[in-house]
Amino acid sequence: MSLTSHVSTLVKVGSLAFVALAAAASAAAAQVKDIRIDWATYNPVSLVLKEQGLLEKEFAADGVKITWVQSAGSNKALEFLNAGAIEFGSTAGAAALIGRINGNPIKSVYVYSRPEWTALVTRADTAITKVADLKGKRVAATRGTDPHIFLVRALQGVGLTEKDITLVLLQHADGKAALLRGDVDAWAGLDPIMASAEVEDKAVLIYRNKDANTWGVLNVREEFAVKNPDTVKRVLKAYEAARTWSLANPDKVKGYLVAVTKLPDAVIAKQLGERTELTHSAIGADQSASILAAGLALQQAGVIKPDVDVKKTVGDLIDSSFLVATK
Amino acid sequence: MSTVNTMSIEQPARPVEANPSHGSAPRPLARVTAAASEHKVASGQAIGGSLMSGPSTNGSWISAWWVGLVLPVAIGILWELAVAGGYANGRLVPPPTKIFEVLSELAASGELWRHIAVTSWRVAAGFLLGTLAATLIGALAGYSTLTRQLLDPSLQGLRAVPSIAWVPLFILWLGIFEASKVTLIAVGVFFPIYLGVLGAILAVDRKIVEVGRMFRLSSIDLVRRVLLPAILPAYVLALRGGLGLGWMFVVAAEFMGASEGLGYLLVDGQQVGKPAQIVAAILVFAVLGKLSDSLLARVTAPFLRWQDTQTNAN
Repeated sequence: MSLTSHVSTLVKVGSLAFVALAAAASAAAAQVKDIRIDWATYNPVSLVLKEQGLLEKEFAADGVKITWVQSAGSNKALEFLNAGAIEFGSTAGAAALIGRINGNPIKSVYVYSRPEWTALVTRADTAITKVADLKGKRVAATRGTDPHIFLVRALQGVGLTEKDITLVLLQHADGKAALLRGDVDAWAGLDPIMASAEVEDKAVLIYRNKDANTWGVLNVREEFAVKNPDTVKRVLKAYEAARTWSLANPDKVKGYLVAVTKLPDAVIAKQLGERTELTHSAIGADQSASILAAGLALQQAGVIKPDVDVKKTVGDLIDSSFLVATK
Repeated sequence: MSTVNTMSIEQPARPVEANPSHGSAPRPLARVTAAASEHKVASGQAIGGSLMSGPSTNGSWISAWWVGLVLPVAIGILWELAVAGGYANGRLVPPPTKIFEVLSELAASGELWRHIAVTSWRVAAGFLLGTLAATLIGALAGYSTLTRQLLDPSLQGLRAVPSIAWVPLFILWLGIFEASKVTLIAVGVFFPIYLGVLGAILAVDRKIVEVGRMFRLSSIDLVRRVLLPAILPAYVLALRGGLGLGWMFVVAAEFMGASEGLGYLLVDGQQVGKPAQIVAAILVFAVLGKLSDSLLARVTAPFLRWQDTQTNAN
């Protein structure tokens, strides 16, 4: 046996293994047995859906198992989606766009809220009162999430970039802790953790801009959606039921969120009452415009590379076809 | 110097008197004492020799250094072909070209060097502090039975705590910046070195100590000419083990609020979803870890030259 024939055998075996793996993967997806979906404290509707067992009821007859996973931020939801660990994940619209640009094959199919969930936060004892004061300061943020995108755009608004500050990468809850301890001077916050910092710890919001919050969107893995469009539609139907119920029962939604976050009523009241609109559900032109604006701003700031076609990616990302009108 | 026996009987006090006159005095005696405990040195050499293969001086490595590259390069090429041929999509496991693209971009912007410098500094600082503390406490515990009985049980207890478990506490006590990072690395480095020093001291062969006593060495000379050379091989191994752990802990340390360093590249790659950047950071860790270990082995090699081992033969 010559060396070359050994090598060619090796290549054949290797390619067979790849083909077999690919076949196994597609066979597994053909029939839905599991739906893995996330819930998050920044997505109150997901909590209602989970607590009331609406998905479990919807799929009970088909023997589909529903597995719930908590996302600590858009970045985590995107990470799970990327790994194929969940089918549905809640993120901010612009966070989903960055994920898609970085090769995460997802579709945004539903709007779970229109929040003002992020702002720039500092302690009452710092001298920071406006965005320009952040120059040279340490700022905590979670990259790949709306607060980070919000921070970059806020800096851009006063002619600064990320390079003018020291960005400290921390997951949202750790960012708040670092701010209160004095490790960082400011924090790009996220509700309800931000509301807690404000109400319980007297933190100060130095910059707010509702329009730069890029909607709360539900994403699905593209591969899953292509193979199981009906399943996606049924999940969205259950989401709609949870959302309309939430509109009718705001106090109960608050109760769910208080129970899971162990935060005081006043904090959750601030998040839900003042900064979350649950009156939207269809994904479309408004979300496109908001996400595109964020994407273009990020490209200008150098966070998204210049050769990326942001507009086309936004088009690829958003898919309104799965939400069937129920009213 | 024919045999230990004749020497110690005929002229017992000579080496002590001769000692101040020339600086390289420890070496001959060490060879004699080592020969007196052949089995000890032989086993020490077996461990040291295999780990020491990189910078060893026996010549054969020059012709064979590339053999170690065959496996990783072959896997890289196969993966590259698999992705190029469409058998795998390479989204989550990026092909080598993609990783090098990321690396060269980072290098071109100068970011890579800044991250490497910061991380290396942290490892060096943590390693230095951990080594100092471990050597001091290890030597004390090895030297005096009372200290050992006092300290060792507590330290062994603390050793069982996974160092990652300290992270939340260090964040509370020391914040998320250099102090807590360096402390965490130092804690990681401390235990293997402490154990190495203590173990080496306790394992010093009674026979060679007795030979030293027969030469009527003062206790300082006993330490300098008998104990120290006997401990050094195990100590160097412990240092290398400690350094390896230092590199492991720097990642854990940089996960707690990174603004620069290779851990930042990892966290950034994770948060934004760039697997190529994560693999690139891991590769840099591998290279730095190997380089620093080789450097340490090279720096400590002169201290081990007294060993009558195969690698020292030529």
